[in-house]
Amino acid sequence: SRRKRARARHKPCALKELEVSVSELGLGYESDETVLFRYCSGTCEAAVRSYDLSLKSMRSRRKIKKEKVRARPCCRPLAYDDDVSFLDAYNRYYTVNELSAKECGCV
Amino acid sequence: DEILRSLAGPPSPPGQDPHGWRVPVDCVRANELCAAEPSCSSRYRTLRQCLAGRDRNTMLANKECQTALEVLQESPLYDCRCKRGMKKELQCLQIYWSIHLGLTEGEEFYEASPYEPVTSRLSDIFRLASIFSGMDPATNSKSNHCLDAAKACNLNDNCKRLRSGYISTCSKEISATEHCSRRKCHKALRQFFDRVPSEYTYRLLFCSCKDQACAERRRQTIVPSCSYEDKEKPNCLDLRNTCRTDHLCRSRLADFHTNCQASFQSLTSCPGDNYQACLGSYAVLIGFDMTPNYVDASTTSITISPWCSCKGSGNLEEECEKFLRDFTENPCLRNAIQAFGNGTDVNLSPKNPSPPVTLQPKTEKSPALPDDINDSNTMYDTSVITTCTSVQEHGSKLNKSKEQSLCYSETQLTTDIMPDQKTFVDQKAGGSRHWAGRILPVVPILLLKLVL
Repeated sequence: SRRKRARARHKPCALKELEVSVSELGLGYESDETVLFRYCSGTCEAAVRSYDLSLKSMRSRRKIKKEKVRARPCCRPLAYDDDVSFLDAYNRYYTVNELSAKECGCV
Repeated sequence: DEILRSLAGPPSPPGQDPHGWRVPVDCVRANELCAAEPSCSSRYRTLRQCLAGRDRNTMLANKECQTALEVLQESPLYDCRCKRGMKKELQCLQIYWSIHLGLTEGEEFYEASPYEPVTSRLSDIFRLASIFSGMDPATNSKSNHCLDAAKACNLNDNCKRLRSGYISTCSKEISATEHCSRRKCHKALRQFFDRVPSEYTYRLLFCSCKDQACAERRRQTIVPSCSYEDKEKPNCLDLRNTCRTDHLCRSRLADFHTNCQASFQSLTSCPGDNYQACLGSYAVLIGFDMTPNYVDASTTSITISPWCSCKGSGNLEEECEKFLRDFTENPCLRNAIQAFGNGTDVNLSPKNPSPPVTLQPKTEKSPALPDDINDSNTMYDTSVITTCTSVQEHGSKLNKSKEQSLCYSETQLTTDIMPDQKTFVDQKAGGSRHWAGRILPVVPILLLKLVL
């Protein structure tokens, strides 16, 4: 049953969102303005391709040894949201691009 | 004045309109109607040629031009209006001014607005404000309303996109010498105020502030370093002339004058007590030569001005000051901004009604001379309205008090003085006659039908 609960938490890759202050983004900006931060989260188990299986096989047969390879699809943004602008604590405007995900996928 | 009187005078012969009733049409449609009629379209063409590159007096000296103008006064083109943000707005305004530039002196202080009157009311705006207060549970004395407004905008995709659009355009440095592209910045600002619903834009522009950080944020809303400030401050009348060469700017300024003109007959100091109309006309002036803004980050007094001064006015100093005061010392505009900012307090007011003293300055000032707009007590007006609104809404629950009766009588007074709030033509033109003019054409048609 513990395994089942763990599975339930691992939903398929999808867009999620958080309301955060600009300061919390950790980009070095000081501003109390709130922005919507959209990110990609979830598992990609259903999106395993022949590529991934073959790559795994190559690795286990030690045909690939030194290179860093990733044999599992990864939940990442396929597209990014429009620019976000804000006024900081020193009354200067900044615009940040590609801050937020717009579309997610297993790549 | 003659022309203004003829404006209010008897209308066209009924034969022209198949229904006998002139439904106000927009000027693009009126132009189509005119084009379908050979006599109208040829006169309109003549008038446009008359107006091209000539001043009004030269034009009217020409018999042919004068006849064309007279005939067109009886066409649907004459009382057509435009809608804010309509499709082909510029084309509509061009048509409007092509006739009206011939009709007015051109040098008039106030011009009638080419836009349809705003019908939504004061109550709507307060309802809007109460929605906001419900949205943010942290609406207490400590919260920064301007920051809340920015948050609300950032959480709405459309508002965020267009806000970011003008901010990035207005803060983009072009070169070492050119700080930003003012033209592009203005365009992006106009898009923001045209395409984003007013529940977001008003909130950013007119948020109420209790500390300087908030007021500075409010002042920064339109990125004033690019859209507002300039190396030099032009003379306000020169700036007005520049604005009047542009159909859009001219129309927006005329609309501002129509809707934000300080009125000493109404409780709120606004024409028809319509705050919404005043705030709307203010917001759409942003992004033009006449862009207004807060002059400083003061929390106690709100001072608005375009980027101009009355230096170098010569013998027109008085006219210039009068023009500038419609921004800087306008009780209607100030009350509208404060009422919107404090809108959230309306629901709370029965608990702590304003002391009756606040009514005193207003009662004394009611019969003031039209020139006396040097009114530093306008801050009180908001509380007067608040009290009145709450007293009217919750009147039955409160004990009869002196304030209450005073308040009622003043509200009554206001409605008695201004029974016709639909009048948007210059008051001098005589609103009632204008109305009569619209109703009259029905009569002959009805008679005609009876005879047949």
